[in-house]
Amino acid sequence: MRGKVAVIGVGMIKYGELFDKSLEDMVQEAYSNCLKDVRKGIDPKEIKAAWFGQWSGGFIGQGLQSGNSLASLIGNLDIPVTRLENACATGGDTFRHACLGVASGAYDVALALGAEKMRDKPSAESLGGAGGGGGAEVGIHPAWAIGQGGPAIQAFHATRQMYELGYTMEDYARVAVKNHHNGTLCPYAHYQFEVTVERVLGSYIVCWPLHLLDCCPQTDGAAAAIVCRADLAKRYTDKPVYVLGSNTGIDHCQLWDRKSFVEQQSTIRAARGAFEMAGIKPADVDFAELHDCFTNTELLNIEDVGFCGKGKAAKMLQDGEFDMHSRLPINPSGGLKAHGHPIAATGLGQIFELVMQLREEAEKRQVKLKNGIGLQHNVGGPAFGVSAVNILSRSM
Amino acid sequence: MFWRFNPEVYRLVGIKCKDCGHISYPRGMICHECGSQNIEEYTLPKRGTIHTFCVNWAPPPQFEPPITPVIVDLEGGGRYLGLMTETATPEDVKVGSKVEMVLRRLTRDRGLNIYGYKFRLTEEQ
Amino acid sequence: MSGIIGYGVYIPRYRLEQQEAAIPWGSWSPGEKSVCGADEDVVTMAAEAMDNAIRHSGVNPEEIGAIYIGTASSPYIEQYVAPILAETLGLHPGTTMMDYSGSLNSMANAILGCLDAIAAKRIRCGIVIGAENRPTAPGTEGDASLGAGAVAMVIGKEGAIAEIEAVHTYSTLFLDRWHSAKDAWVSNFFDYRFDREYGYQSHIVEACKGLLDELGRAAGEYDYAVFPQLDDRIPGLPAKALGIHSERLAPAISSILGDLGSCSAFISLAGILDRAKPGQRILLASYGSGASNAMSLITRGQISKKRRNLTPLKRYIDRKQYLTYTSYLRIREQLARAPY
Repeated sequence: MRGKVAVIGVGMIKYGELFDKSLEDMVQEAYSNCLKDVRKGIDPKEIKAAWFGQWSGGFIGQGLQSGNSLASLIGNLDIPVTRLENACATGGDTFRHACLGVASGAYDVALALGAEKMRDKPSAESLGGAGGGGGAEVGIHPAWAIGQGGPAIQAFHATRQMYELGYTMEDYARVAVKNHHNGTLCPYAHYQFEVTVERVLGSYIVCWPLHLLDCCPQTDGAAAAIVCRADLAKRYTDKPVYVLGSNTGIDHCQLWDRKSFVEQQSTIRAARGAFEMAGIKPADVDFAELHDCFTNTELLNIEDVGFCGKGKAAKMLQDGEFDMHSRLPINPSGGLKAHGHPIAATGLGQIFELVMQLREEAEKRQVKLKNGIGLQHNVGGPAFGVSAVNILSRSM
Repeated sequence: MFWRFNPEVYRLVGIKCKDCGHISYPRGMICHECGSQNIEEYTLPKRGTIHTFCVNWAPPPQFEPPITPVIVDLEGGGRYLGLMTETATPEDVKVGSKVEMVLRRLTRDRGLNIYGYKFRLTEEQ
Repeated sequence: MSGIIGYGVYIPRYRLEQQEAAIPWGSWSPGEKSVCGADEDVVTMAAEAMDNAIRHSGVNPEEIGAIYIGTASSPYIEQYVAPILAETLGLHPGTTMMDYSGSLNSMANAILGCLDAIAAKRIRCGIVIGAENRPTAPGTEGDASLGAGAVAMVIGKEGAIAEIEAVHTYSTLFLDRWHSAKDAWVSNFFDYRFDREYGYQSHIVEACKGLLDELGRAAGEYDYAVFPQLDDRIPGLPAKALGIHSERLAPAISSILGDLGSCSAFISLAGILDRAKPGQRILLASYGSGASNAMSLITRGQISKKRRNLTPLKRYIDRKQYLTYTSYLRIREQLARAPY
């Protein structure tokens, strides 16, 4: 993959509870913004294939099925379009497919777009729905029937991180403090207010040991990226961003098959493969957008991707080593926690952030670049067994 | 609760891999961990200790909150996921607590009771 | 001769003080009763009693030729629950599986059925499980007094801890209590005095007399007498009529567990077997819907040997957690959230 694919345009809409925007509205707006972001201009018909990330498909309110729903909305019916879903990694994985389409030589230019409408149902319902895959149903057998959704699964990890690694609820709360602060500097973020450790720990307990403010919001949003053959990139923009590595990592889909609850093998596998492809090490990365669906998850992710050893992330966070202007900023956009988590859009929203940062167009939240390399990560799904990692760079 | 899963649902029948030792549940032809088809039937034991847990105050609609899901390390190997029952308060539950499986009604489907196993703290801890 | 090879009980941990259900409706009921948790019912209680009985008996489940459930509060009017219990044991399809229901004499009849199947040499060993969780309605007498519990007995020819020498039944058409398919609660027809004398006492006494005649024995020869406990005092009535000293009666449990329906006499029996010595005689009679089955038992040496594997009734009685009346009503789905 390295050296074959470049990102020539990214687009997104401001995330939030967008009651006055339909899923279709969001798709079109993100796509339009993405086209405009191709600085030297692009004829939409130059896009020769598209991948459409859409997670819910309709079971938590509005959803879109099949590739042609995207094709219709962007008015491009002459190309192959596929809808794909891979849980919370949908966004990152959709991007990977567009990259594969270009890297294979089949297409010169491809589009990846992800969109999610979560707030057309009362939040309790969409939270339950976004849980164990329609967890409200009895399902095949009793173990599925207890609705073990996102918060409950991460709470299993949070309990075990406290027991095995000595982490505390304060450690988790500090992730929220950092990310909410970063979010106030990002115009696209869902939440743009600061929080304190006290406020997080004072919020009601959703799933012990996680409080309301330990959890990312349910967000409406859409984001897109246009990729092309690396050697053609300069035709479209003076600031192409190159794809060094793109991988999806898998682990068991049943919680009781998993070995450990202080690490997520899906992330470990995704990251390892992506680094191998890129030919770089974690220490070479300047900043990262990691999947902090819950505060404790960010600590897991930092360790699993390989930025530090198991059990070390909490202290490093407390010492400010992941702040916006530190050596390794994590989630300068505000992360899922403050920026939001419109499931299928999230990965692509993180790609947007990576590109803005690598072009040095991130305004108030610009991080310092040394190697000019950024990393994007998602993790989710049944037993959190699906992860996507993409590594981008400003130079080939 | 479809009839073909009766042995799994009522007797916790799974498989054990003769190559890597992993215990997979429900039954199947292929080991979930290593992909081997060199497997034998294995009945999950009903006693174990809590590996991790959480206390869910926002469960799916058919449950009265809070519910306490647990991952249990079963005696002799293997793990299972289930809800606690008979915990007076969620604080009774700790990592390492000894538990046993008991048959309980999990839910109803159009008037038919759906039974399965939940975990209960054993008398001796 | 067939006998009880092993037995086990189950009582839920939850208790309601009977007052809690009586006082809001202007009445009075002393004592407390056991209550099923929100996820328990006749089937789940039967499962634990059954596991206890099998462990105590030392029998291999493969040897069980028949499984009988006796209850007056099955969750279903049509749909046996015996196969559910059979599935948890992995009993093969050739096993006889049936429910005896519709009467507080159900468990006694299930035992009779099991004994008949053994006598007919159709099976060598069977398991009989009684469980009761009768529905009640606020304001009824039953809401305060009906309790929940289960008891299981493995019955067969070898290794008995107590032999069943004979069973004598006595049945007439007598309407005292009933639960119509159209109602969600148990009802009483007449009044307590009529029911207890002409119903309970009369049928138990006739059944016991018939049994004693058959065996050529006197009531005084029995070390224990066990009758169902609708309340603590009622067993005294047939005891007096039969000339049995009240000391020989099983200890009172209805003021701590409530009226356990068709299980009542057999749970009391379990309590007695928990401490009986070999060679003791027990006279037991059930009662329900105008029928009484009287049984004569004699304990054997195995009773002391098998006590190691026993989970005694006392363990379940001592394990308790009190509910408020509102929790109780919610558990029984008589107090629910608005749907939207």
